[in-house]
Amino acid sequence: MARKLQENPQLDMTPMIDVVFELIIFFVVTLTEAQKKDETIELENGQHGIVLTPEELPPEHMQIDIASVGRDGKRLATPRISMGDRTLTKEQVYERVKARYEKYNREFPVLIRADFETPHSAVRDVMDACTKAKIWKISFMAVAEDKTKGESRPALRTGKRKVFK
Amino acid sequence: MARKQQENPQLDMTPMIDVVFELIIFFVVTIKQEDIFSRLNVNRPAPSPPSATETPKDDISCTIEIGKALYHGERNGVYVYNKKEVTLQQLEGYLRETAAVSVDTPIIVKCAENSPHKALVDLLDVCYKYKLFSVSVFTL
Repeated sequence: MARKLQENPQLDMTPMIDVVFELIIFFVVTLTEAQKKDETIELENGQHGIVLTPEELPPEHMQIDIASVGRDGKRLATPRISMGDRTLTKEQVYERVKARYEKYNREFPVLIRADFETPHSAVRDVMDACTKAKIWKISFMAVAEDKTKGESRPALRTGKRKVFK
Repeated sequence: MARKQQENPQLDMTPMIDVVFELIIFFVVTIKQEDIFSRLNVNRPAPSPPSATETPKDDISCTIEIGKALYHGERNGVYVYNKKEVTLQQLEGYLRETAAVSVDTPIIVKCAENSPHKALVDLLDVCYKYKLFSVSVFTL
């Protein structure tokens, strides 16, 4: 019953390194994919709000972005409403919210990530689209704790917008 | 069938250490600390003109209005409380008193169309500071 003794005890690391690299590339790619968002938006401070964690919001929640400046740092004539990286009109926002409401058949949180300079009329458009789709509770996103020391939000302090290439 | 006995059974750690260092440097360089975000909830009443909704007497009603200057600087938002123009600091005092009476007091915020979103978020943050959570937002 004695098993044959392993004659070559040297471990070949090559496949392990291959796998590890594969995993790293996978996570880097998926992480950047998941964080796709409108980077021109600068949020106002709101340190007394409910701190957002991935577990805090139910998975069916919806995030709507409203930008007031373009990538060139200049003010937009009409604020840009978007979800993910798709620009939407207020009618499209209504349709999406309604579709999700019909899918889950209950209220879900709608999180509005609006730039601090967005005129209220754009925020109102999005809120009206939500109420039309029977969502009465709206959340506004703010910054609870500034970990980047204002680096991610220069306009909030200096009034000068970051320009994206 | 006998395989040749391995003469040097010692594991060579050098490539693994190389790779691990590479990974450490990669992550140290790429990982950026993100801001921590919060959310401020509001109730949105049915889309009807604000004049149609009668506010009960013991409610406090706070109107945010602003002129054209949306940029950071002299006019971040003009708060009007009790038909008087007030600063956010003054408003904070009123809200503190309101919260001392009852934290269930409904807060009604009426925003002018061209007021910056910042003014609303600032006000909501103060409401949350004093645990005034029933905030409704109207548009003027």
